[in-house]
Amino acid sequence: MKTLVIISHPEIDDSGSQQYLLSSVPQTEDVTIHHLEGTYSASQPIDVEKEQQLLAAHDRILFQFPFYWYSSPPMLKRWQDEVLLEGFAYGKRTHRLSGKEFGLILVVGVPEKEYQAGGREGFAISALTTPFQAIARKTGMEYLKPLVIFQFPYMKEHEKMALLIRYQQMLTGDKSDSLKAREEWIVEQLEQTDRNLLGATGDLVLEEVLSTIEDNRLTLDELEMLLDNM
Amino acid sequence: MEEQEWIYEQLDKLFEDSRDYQQKALILAAKKLIQEQYERIEQMKGELDGTLWSPRSWNE
Repeated sequence: MKTLVIISHPEIDDSGSQQYLLSSVPQTEDVTIHHLEGTYSASQPIDVEKEQQLLAAHDRILFQFPFYWYSSPPMLKRWQDEVLLEGFAYGKRTHRLSGKEFGLILVVGVPEKEYQAGGREGFAISALTTPFQAIARKTGMEYLKPLVIFQFPYMKEHEKMALLIRYQQMLTGDKSDSLKAREEWIVEQLEQTDRNLLGATGDLVLEEVLSTIEDNRLTLDELEMLLDNM
Repeated sequence: MEEQEWIYEQLDKLFEDSRDYQQKALILAAKKLIQEQYERIEQMKGELDGTLWSPRSWNE
């Protein structure tokens, strides 16, 4: 699966959250990072053909941006207007994006609890992002559960580490976030991790960890089978 | 229970010894995943016991 992350941020170098996410990108050819403001200036035309080719070459399309006035920065809106054209993204004959997956990675400055009826913002993120859900619907893409990062600067180190993993899973993991899907992803990552960076007994411990995850999965499958047959 | 504590201790040590930030994050995620697995196992065992003791089955 090939993932395209389209980032829109006018001052990405000064953004702690965006820099953290950029440093968390898995090192694989299957992930392409495309920062719009780093590619085009406000006065420069967008290379529509190149952008459309990029979209066509990937299976999962992610928009990553800070939530500005309940929407994206202006460059991403301009990109949508100029790239997602009739005859490419939608239309009677062509649906080049159909069957792909589409998701949002949002960085939000306000606490999560305010995004609900009765909260300071009054509406849930799911309600405020309906224009993006409508794009997915119209172009035939499957809308994924978003990754919404609330108040990054206040996150503790272990919370940031959990975010790093959730971000990597959003980029390279299965669209399902079931326990089984997450087990498979973690096992794959543990198998690929650089064992030279672990301590002296790290190799042995890693094997124990892998076998624990697998043993637990066997137990879970057995229990599930028993429960199904009750 | 002892087995669980042992693997958590090993993972904590692995976390401390690792010299790479992304690897530390992965080790932390592996620990949380294993905790979640054990919790799910306990819940399912409980559900199984509950089903065995269910009045619905007493007539069979």
